[in-house]
Amino acid sequence: MSQLFSNKRLILLLLGVILLVALISFSLRDRANVSLPEQIIKDVVGAGQTVFSRPAHVVTGIFDNVDSLLNTYEENRHLKTRLEEFAGVQAEVKDLRSENAELREVVGKQEDLREYNPIQATVIARNPDQWEEKIILDKGTDSGVTQNMAVLTARGLVGKVILATPSTSTVELVSTQDPNYRVSAMVLGKQQDVFGLIEGYDAERRELLLKRIDADIDIQEGDQVVSSGLGGIFPKGIVIGKITEVTIDEFGLTKLAYVKPAADFNMLNHVMIADRTMPEVDTADNGQTEEDGS
Amino acid sequence: MIRLLIPAIGLVLFFLEPVFGLFSPLHLGDDYYYVVPRFLLMYLIFVSIYYSRKQAVLYGLFFGLLYDVFFIDIIGLYSFLYPMLCLMAAEAVKSIQQNLLVTTALTIGLIALFEFVLYQFFVLISLTSMPLPVFLETRLVPTVMTNFVFLIMLGWVFRSAILPRLTERDKLPGLYL
Repeated sequence: MSQLFSNKRLILLLLGVILLVALISFSLRDRANVSLPEQIIKDVVGAGQTVFSRPAHVVTGIFDNVDSLLNTYEENRHLKTRLEEFAGVQAEVKDLRSENAELREVVGKQEDLREYNPIQATVIARNPDQWEEKIILDKGTDSGVTQNMAVLTARGLVGKVILATPSTSTVELVSTQDPNYRVSAMVLGKQQDVFGLIEGYDAERRELLLKRIDADIDIQEGDQVVSSGLGGIFPKGIVIGKITEVTIDEFGLTKLAYVKPAADFNMLNHVMIADRTMPEVDTADNGQTEEDGS
Repeated sequence: MIRLLIPAIGLVLFFLEPVFGLFSPLHLGDDYYYVVPRFLLMYLIFVSIYYSRKQAVLYGLFFGLLYDVFFIDIIGLYSFLYPMLCLMAAEAVKSIQQNLLVTTALTIGLIALFEFVLYQFFVLISLTSMPLPVFLETRLVPTVMTNFVFLIMLGWVFRSAILPRLTERDKLPGLYL
């Protein structure tokens, strides 16, 4: 009797393992769409999660406020020194802006890669096991969020939307290890802009890798890296970070630069999803960016 | 109504985990330490030991599935590991003395095992390239330590929430077993 029982158990266990492997391989595929049951679960859990993360955000908000209150004096002094500089820069920006608009009118070009409609969203959860760098936002397709949109904070690019359900969206941060994760970027140089791809993340240095930069072009440490908008989905000009080191890549053909991200990925509360005004191009950007850059 | 208390606590812990996860990784000195809250798993192991193995497995399956779908998009990982660990805990207490100290130690051991299995899995599907010593230092040790602190504080709460339900269960065996 006991022999039979253990056999039955063994079969059950084996069936379970087979089911498990099947399910895992099903869900590991690159899926463009979420199935309906998954959508329902995500939306329901997301609603519940919002209830719990609101008070948490309030509490962290209080701590942040106290923290900034303590630094007020120091900050105030620092800001005062910057104020004069700021006035000058503002006048210049205004001038350039109006000039840009005028020139645009002359050329008859209305659309701009830089323009986007920001969708404000709150982070309701971060994948607690932290193996994959994912966060979940409280806005979904109902608010106009679609796959692959850029997600940013005031300081810079954070990641992109990988899955969107009616009321939640999952964002994969740029600090992911995913080899298929690419952002077309450019380095703001002194004479010309240099194009490359953000591909990969060095977990030990906590810096992004900017690859496929033309070896002939000179780039320096401290240069700013922004999104180029040439990938077809991201708007142009979102700050990504600053270059900290330039080396030659493993094949010796192109340059590789380490980029220190401008945004802080650790405590994310409120983010913006960039809905680009310019129609999105539905192609992969492999190699495209380099041609445009040279 | 009172019989819903056990799944209700589970649900609250399920929602609390990612809230605590927002604070991680901890930045101490030059190093980052990942602290993963495993409240729900610890609670399920307690349910499995003190209350009912079958129910713990069912809750494990349910919450594991939610976790898989909502957070990691790999269906079948947590929904397999949660029930599996509940079963292991129930099997283990059969052969050893059952008191709060032993249960705590067992739970911590299973948490460490869980973390390690997850690490191996993610290495297997090449989602992470973290070397083993780095994993031990920045993930396993901090995670186990913080969960241990949590368990010391809340272990007896878990037990005192579960034990009164136990007498209730024994009165109505048909409903629970």
